[in-house]
Amino acid sequence: MNTLVQKIHLAPEQRSLLLRVIVLLLIGAGLALVSSAFLGANNLLNLLRQASLVFLLASGLTLVILCGGLDLSIGANVALSACLAATVMKATGSPLAGCAVGLASGLLVGAVNGLLVTRVRVPPFIATYGTLWILHGLTYWFMAGDTIHGFPPAFRFLGSGYWLGVPVPVFLMFGVLALGTLFLQYTTMGQEIYATGSNTEAAALSGVPVLNRRLLVYMLSGGMAGLASLVFLARLNSAEGDMGEALTLQAVGAVLIGGTSLFGGTGTLAGTLVGALVLTVVLNGMNLLAISANWQPLITGVIVIVSVAADALSRRRSGD
Amino acid sequence: MKLKILAGIAALILAPAAIAQSGERIAVFTKNQTNPFFQVLRMGADSAAKQMGATTTHLIPTKPDSIPEQMSLIDDVVIKKPSAIVFTPVDVKAMVPGIQKLNAAGIPVVNVNDRAEGGKFVAFVGSSDHALGVATGRYLLQALGGKGSVIIIEGVKGSGASAERVRGFQDALKEFPQVKLLASQPGNFQRLQALQVMENLMQTHAQIDGVLAANDSMASGVIEALEGANRKSQVIGINGTKEAIDAIKAGKLLATGDYNGYLQGCVSTMAAIRELRKLPVPKEVIFPPTVVHKGNYQPLDVPLESRSCPKWEDVVKEAAKS
Repeated sequence: MNTLVQKIHLAPEQRSLLLRVIVLLLIGAGLALVSSAFLGANNLLNLLRQASLVFLLASGLTLVILCGGLDLSIGANVALSACLAATVMKATGSPLAGCAVGLASGLLVGAVNGLLVTRVRVPPFIATYGTLWILHGLTYWFMAGDTIHGFPPAFRFLGSGYWLGVPVPVFLMFGVLALGTLFLQYTTMGQEIYATGSNTEAAALSGVPVLNRRLLVYMLSGGMAGLASLVFLARLNSAEGDMGEALTLQAVGAVLIGGTSLFGGTGTLAGTLVGALVLTVVLNGMNLLAISANWQPLITGVIVIVSVAADALSRRRSGD
Repeated sequence: MKLKILAGIAALILAPAAIAQSGERIAVFTKNQTNPFFQVLRMGADSAAKQMGATTTHLIPTKPDSIPEQMSLIDDVVIKKPSAIVFTPVDVKAMVPGIQKLNAAGIPVVNVNDRAEGGKFVAFVGSSDHALGVATGRYLLQALGGKGSVIIIEGVKGSGASAERVRGFQDALKEFPQVKLLASQPGNFQRLQALQVMENLMQTHAQIDGVLAANDSMASGVIEALEGANRKSQVIGINGTKEAIDAIKAGKLLATGDYNGYLQGCVSTMAAIRELRKLPVPKEVIFPPTVVHKGNYQPLDVPLESRSCPKWEDVVKEAAKS
C-alpha cells in the first residue's frame, strides 16, 4: 500500500490524510460486517451529527495547533458560553439574543487567551490551563449547581433539527470545513498561519505579523467554542455547570488523530474531521455490538493508536 | 467613668465572639460544585444548622471530585478545628487516611451519602443505591406489565453508586423473567453521552419499551434522544432532581428514585449537632427508597428555599422501618 501511495506522488500531508481515511473506512467496513445496523441511514446520520459537535470544537483548535499553540480551555469555554446563552434566552425568550451572547462569550474568552499568549507572553499551555480554571470557577459560581432546561423550538432546531433529511449540525460541520479549508489553503492569512507554526522566526523575518496571526487563531478557537456551545445547548436542551468537561480531550484527540502535528505547521481540517469520525465510529460500534463497559476504554485506546499507526509507520519507512 | 466606657467597649467587642462560640461550627464536605444533588444537600445542611442555632462552612474541591483537593481541605480543617464535620468522601477508599486524620484530631465526623470504607464515624446517613435501583426498576417493570424489552444505561465504571444502582436494576429484572434485557451500556452519568449511546442503541433495537438510567441527567439525555427520533419508551432515573420532577410533570419521565439530597443534608447536620450536645444518635440512618412519580411528586415540587428540615424523631422513626 505504501509503494502504491508513493507512486501516485502525493504530498506528505495528502498521503497522511489518505492513510487515515483508509483506516476509517476499514473500521467502518469491519463494523458493517458484524452489525447489520451500522450502514443504516439513521445510524450514519447520527454518526455525522455526533461527530459534528466534536468537529466544531476541534476546528478552531486545529488552527491554534497549526499556529504552534494549544488551547486547553475550549471545554470550559463551551460550558460558560452555553450557560450564559441559556440564562439570556430564559430571561428574554429570544433565541437570537442567546446566540449572540454565546458567540460573544466564546470570542471574548478566545481574545483573552490570545492576548495572554501574544502580549503577556505566557506560554500557551499555562495561559489556557489558567483560563480553563477561571472559566470553570465562573461557571460553577454562576450556575450554583442549578440546571437550566427547556428552550424555544426555534433555537433547538440548531442542534436537533433536520433540513432536507440531514441533521442541521452536519451542515454546520461541512460549512466550517469548506470555509476553513479555503481560508487555510487559499488565503495569505491562512498560509501565514502555517508558516508561523512551522518556523516562527523565519516567518517573522519574512514579514508575517506572527503575533496578530496567533491572536487571530485563539479568537477563532474561542469563537468556534461559542458556536459549539450553542449546538450543544440546542441538542441537549439544558445547561449545567459541568457541561463539556469531556469535550476538550476529545477535541484534542480528534485534531491529533487527524494528523495535525502538535509542533505546528502541518495538518488539515479534513484530517480533524477524520479524527472526529474515528472517535465517533468507535463509540457507535461499541454500542451497536453491546460491548461491555469493562472493555470500552481499552478498545477506544487501541483504535486511536491503530488509526495513527499506519501513517506513523509509513513515515518511518520512507525516512520522514 | 473611663473604666465604664472601656468595659462597655470590651463587652461590645467580645459579645459577637461570645455569641459565635455558643453556636456550633459544622464543616460540611461535599464532592463538587456542579452536581445539583450536592447543592441540595448543602441547602439541607444549612437549613438544619439554622434551625438548631449552629453555623455551617462548606468545603468543596474546585476541581470536581478531586481526591488531592479534598485531602488538602482536610488538612486545613484539622488546623481550624470546627466543632464537628459532615463528610461525603470523593472516593470511598482513597479518603480513608484523611478521615483517620480527622479522627486523630478528635473532631466528630458524620458520614453522609457515600459510605467510606474506613475511619470512625458518629453515624452514617444516606440512601441505599441498591434499594433505590430495585424500587425504581421494579416501578418501571410493573408499568410495562411485566413484559417487553428494556435497556440499562449505566453510570461511571468504577463508581460505587453506579455499580449498586445497576445491581438493583438487575435484581428488579429477576422479578420479571418475561422482560428481556437488550443491552447495558455506560453513559458515564453524562447527559450527552447517554443521549448518544441511546441514539446508537436505537439503531440496533427497533423496539425498546423501557430505559433504566442510573441517574436523572442520563435519563434526560435518553428522553432527548427518544424525542429526536420520534420514539417512545418509559424512562426512569435516580436522584430526584428538580429537572426530573419537571419531566415527570410533563409526562416525559415515568419516575425517579428519590435520593433525598435535602434530607441527607438535614439529618447528617442534625446528627452532628446532636452528638455535640450529647443527645442520642443512631449509628445508621438509611432512608427508605422512595419512587417519585406522577402521583406523589407534589411535596418535592416546591422551591428549595421554602423547604425546611423535618423533625428528628420523625426521620429516625421512618428510617428504622426500612
